[in-house]
Amino acid sequence: MKRKIHLATAVVALAGLMAGAGGCGGDGKAKDDRPVIGVSLLNLSNEFIVMLKKAMEDKAAELNVRLIVTDAQRSAGRQIEQVERFIAQGVSAIIVNPCEVEASSPAVAKALAAGVPVVNVNSETRAAPTAFVGSRDEESARLAMEYIAQRLGGKGNVLMMQGFLGQAAQLKRDAGAREVLKNTPGLALLAEQSAKWDRGEALSLMENWIQSHGDKVQAVFCQNDEMAMGAVIALEQARRKDKVIVAGVDAIADALQAVRDGRLDATVFQDARGQGGGAVEAAVKLIRKQPCDKETFIPFQLVTKENVDKFLKR
Amino acid sequence: MSVQTTTAMTHPLVRYALVLALLAALAYSLYMPHMTPAGYASYMMTILLQVSVTAILAVGVTFVLLTGGVDLSLGSLVALAGVVAAIFARAGQPLGVSIAMGVLAGLACGLVNGAVVVFARVAPFIATLGMMTAARGLALLLSGGKPVPDLGESFKAIAGQRAAGVPVPVLIVAAVAGLAWLFLRHSRPGRYVYAVGGNEEAARACGLNVSLVKVFVYAVSGALAGLAGVINASRLTTGQPNTGEGFELAAIAAAVIGGTSLSGGVGTIGGALLGALLMGMISSALDMRDVSAYYQQIITGGIIVAAVWLERKGRRE
Repeated sequence: MKRKIHLATAVVALAGLMAGAGGCGGDGKAKDDRPVIGVSLLNLSNEFIVMLKKAMEDKAAELNVRLIVTDAQRSAGRQIEQVERFIAQGVSAIIVNPCEVEASSPAVAKALAAGVPVVNVNSETRAAPTAFVGSRDEESARLAMEYIAQRLGGKGNVLMMQGFLGQAAQLKRDAGAREVLKNTPGLALLAEQSAKWDRGEALSLMENWIQSHGDKVQAVFCQNDEMAMGAVIALEQARRKDKVIVAGVDAIADALQAVRDGRLDATVFQDARGQGGGAVEAAVKLIRKQPCDKETFIPFQLVTKENVDKFLKR
Repeated sequence: MSVQTTTAMTHPLVRYALVLALLAALAYSLYMPHMTPAGYASYMMTILLQVSVTAILAVGVTFVLLTGGVDLSLGSLVALAGVVAAIFARAGQPLGVSIAMGVLAGLACGLVNGAVVVFARVAPFIATLGMMTAARGLALLLSGGKPVPDLGESFKAIAGQRAAGVPVPVLIVAAVAGLAWLFLRHSRPGRYVYAVGGNEEAARACGLNVSLVKVFVYAVSGALAGLAGVINASRLTTGQPNTGEGFELAAIAAAVIGGTSLSGGVGTIGGALLGALLMGMISSALDMRDVSAYYQQIITGGIIVAAVWLERKGRRE
């Protein structure tokens, strides 16, 4: 019995190995001499990252390079392993969409030590890459909070939903929002809490806030759209949406639709196409040893009912 | 054979500890000086609504825990069932079809879990860990990694509507828990579930079809996760492929706080509901008092361990 199980395990393991090896062999056999760029993405269950990936693939097809796309599933450890594998495979360049500022740094450092150019896209690592393509996250929160300040005439009570505490995007969006709060003395921050970027968490948090702060709430700033949608749903169910302004960041498809329908007041468009395409362009420049900007910042844009149609078409 | 095990929860000290913990949470949650009486009522309804998904999962996982197994796939099944139901709802299928497909998706995965545990003899921890990963992948695949929106008013109404002032999900929890309680406490097959967890060899020697019982409990757990997934999707008004992470642990914690033993044979549906309610009330109260997320995690962790310790201590004495 025991031996049988060992044998079965071995067969399964072997089949797995062969499938893996077969995959690699197949790729190499096709006499594909296009340069290869390894991509390690933060998390493919996030809509924005999916858009980033699509933009990269389109740009890669346009520039005739081949991408190997991997998903780190939010684990910096996995991200480092993926980059190590890229180095071993001998890719021409690596694009890292970092999971974490500190913990993903070794991934960048290892690639640089191996002489492979690295482009960081969307967020930063402490170790400086060869090039960075992204946006200044502080700016997104500033745009949203300024919109709230303007709608409230510079005076009112605001709630803030934070992302996963300690992540680069959370820290920066927090800083951007606080800057506006500091410069607008009439705005009072009633409460702030993390809803972990998650719609369900945000829904519950908003329900609780409606209970505890009730009529006092005039606006909610959410550090991403998933949470903004959760807040909108809770406010709608409590029949308070018409009294509360909600703004998010990212301009995911769902949020854009909600802005058009007048459910969500504003979101901030983070240009996935610009960032993803820009990252692949930078990587190709580096492979071809052409001059490449050390940092490329893609601007954010505020999206409201007035201009939402422009973004829905993209 | 099961009479003794089912009465463990009725030990006065056990009840005492749990009730005390609940009362402390109640006091903390309900002392809201600025709230009107109507506000209290709506606050309690909000808490019940918020714990409904965890409560259904906790009822389902109690079946599995009673046999000495575990089900880690629940959170992923919530996402998968939500996505499946959302796809049907978006396609304009009748509400009943969307709900049924979501529940069936959960049931199918639960049957696979049971089959892998029973016939392939893979440890439940590993079998359901595999399903946790695979079902998440399937949810992402079916949805293209994006939320599935536009579910139509009738689908959104599952969680959005109230009947006589009570949110519909709360009524669903009541119905599910009532049926589960009847089954476990007042039917012969229900006693088999306790028997398998109490002493599997003895149950087998008595002529019980242990394999069948085990497949059955994973199927129940899966189907209820499917139902919870439908409610969750209705609440979020989208099928979210990335939702539900950690729900399995919340459900298991709820069941264990409520007196269910991880080694099988001991536990009740009422306990699972109380556990879910306790955790939900604490989390709501912490939110409402603007306690920082860091402290919230520390407090929640402490409460889980403390509640279980108190309850176990009560049982030993």
